[in-house]
Amino acid sequence: MVFRARTRSTEEWKAVTSAISTLVDEATFEANIEGISFRGMDPSHVALIDIHWPNTTFESFECDSAVKFGVRIDELLKVIRRGEKKDSVEMSLAEDSTLLVKMHNGYRREYKMRLIESSASATPLPKLSFNTKAVLVAGSFDRILSDVNIVSEYLSIKSEASAIHFSGKGDSGEAEIVLDPKSEGLEELNVKEQSTATYSIDYLSKVTKAISTAGGSIAAEFSSKMPIRLEFRVMNLGRIHFYLAPRVQD
Amino acid sequence: MVTASEIKARLERNWIKFLNDNSAKLSTTTLSGATPPSVFVGRYGYPKVKVGPMIPPLHGDTKILDTPEMWLGKSLEEIVNYRLALVRGISKVDVRDVSGRYVESLQEVAMTNKSVESEATLEKIPISDFEQERDSRFDTDSAPFGPAAPLKNFRTSSSSISVDQRIEDAYYDKDLSASQAIVDLYLDGVHVSTLHRVLSIGMLGLKKNRRLVPTRWSISATDDIISAYLIRRIDNFSTIDRFKIYKYSHLGNYYSIILIPDEIWSFEMQEAWYDENNGNMQIGVDYENANGLDHYPSIAGAYFAARLGVAEHLLKIKHKAAALILREIHPEYVMPVGVWQVREGLRRALEGLAKQVESFDEALNFATISLSLSKNEWLRNSQMYKSKKEQLRITDFLMSSTRRA
Repeated sequence: MVFRARTRSTEEWKAVTSAISTLVDEATFEANIEGISFRGMDPSHVALIDIHWPNTTFESFECDSAVKFGVRIDELLKVIRRGEKKDSVEMSLAEDSTLLVKMHNGYRREYKMRLIESSASATPLPKLSFNTKAVLVAGSFDRILSDVNIVSEYLSIKSEASAIHFSGKGDSGEAEIVLDPKSEGLEELNVKEQSTATYSIDYLSKVTKAISTAGGSIAAEFSSKMPIRLEFRVMNLGRIHFYLAPRVQD
Repeated sequence: MVTASEIKARLERNWIKFLNDNSAKLSTTTLSGATPPSVFVGRYGYPKVKVGPMIPPLHGDTKILDTPEMWLGKSLEEIVNYRLALVRGISKVDVRDVSGRYVESLQEVAMTNKSVESEATLEKIPISDFEQERDSRFDTDSAPFGPAAPLKNFRTSSSSISVDQRIEDAYYDKDLSASQAIVDLYLDGVHVSTLHRVLSIGMLGLKKNRRLVPTRWSISATDDIISAYLIRRIDNFSTIDRFKIYKYSHLGNYYSIILIPDEIWSFEMQEAWYDENNGNMQIGVDYENANGLDHYPSIAGAYFAARLGVAEHLLKIKHKAAALILREIHPEYVMPVGVWQVREGLRRALEGLAKQVESFDEALNFATISLSLSKNEWLRNSQMYKSKKEQLRITDFLMSSTRRA
């Protein structure tokens, strides 16, 4: 069995591991000839992350048979964070159930990490059709969440043909941010049907902060009272989908 | 308006007054008796804390004086008398100093499974010493204590020392983490109250991490560690198929426990304290979802003691469930006796027969019918109910036909 994957910088792994770390303590990655994937829900089953990182996006990628490997995600994140931005990262599996992480760019770091038993059962994806799609600059979405968060733990999103409203209401007052296609930060708005739904800011904010340090944009898709799906379009990372179940209020 | 914590604090002041008036009056500074075994670690002045053995003026088997597992069914008066009989000899020790001769002599005592004949010389005649109570107004986790005096000399009769092999093994394993040691010993059948003691006197954990742990903290920590372990274990089981309600009352505490069929762990405990000033009840609530507890519970050690009782039961029946605990504290509970009564009360409740029903509404009706507060009041304070009602799950959308009610 051979598995060896190399990226040109630490940023990709940093984005992937920090996104996963917002949901779970232990993660099982699957590698096969096509690339690396991860899918998992948080213990409360409120959020799901679905990642597919195709072989073509790596500087080099070798995997001769499908393999699963489990890691304690905060430990992997700690290792990755030791690397400099411009370090190349090579991950490989050794015979003795360890993951080798080599980072170098002049200075060479090599870590050998003990793998954990991968317990994860297959996580199916929710079946959804989306009536609204908004593409936002990642930093702009993060700013909306922080703006609303000072009055509420929940974000309500209402879409109409020409604008999208983000709002929150709490004991201290209310907040509303309206974006239309001319607004800074909104790259695209596509509304098939007006939609209204409410989501926990805590979940949205953690994952957005984890990934958006890498910049890029976020495609947010949702329908009334249905889960929202955030697609993080960063670097050269293939698919990072984050699903969050809605809140229902009277 | 007074809060539940203030009512608790008021009860505790009753207790202090009672102790002041009723503590055993020893007339000498020498004390001879069998320690149950029992040791005490204070928290006032941390990290320099008062540590010492607890010795009654009684010989032979005194185990019952410091073994809450044996107290179920006893009256408040009996329990208070057990505690008043224990005299604390105290000496100040830095919590990091777990290998000094004095602490080692206490560890030797804590390692035994039989009462240990001992002699203590005190610097003065023991009097009530309530530093613990004074500096911890909102915390009534440990069982109450009797009189105390500074210790001059402490000796045990080595012939009466009978070592518990399981504890000795954990003590000498200095590469074993404290949490792992606690879980291993628990699974080996060591009493939870014994674990509180050995953790508190610095006998468990990696060599470099060992330290004395104030008795109160050691109780919450132990209950927390064991129940967290059990909750991970039960995750692999299937869920119970109906709502189950269990009840128990003792010492003026009324419990209703609802086990809720759910694939995902969550836990809530509500405590309603009777306010003698106006006859109202004041409620304290703590809740955790499957992501775990994100704060130290406002109801303190009672939370972990109850969680342990529930998790233990679920492991025994090999099922998972969410749990809602309702506790009402009536005026007969004139002084708090420690969270052991929550743990043991729940253990006993869950050994009983359950009422089984099909819906949460029916379960709550049955659970609250024997309590003073109305169903709606409990419901209004329930974060668990609010969260279950308002936050949907990804798994609700896997197939279009299986929406959760």
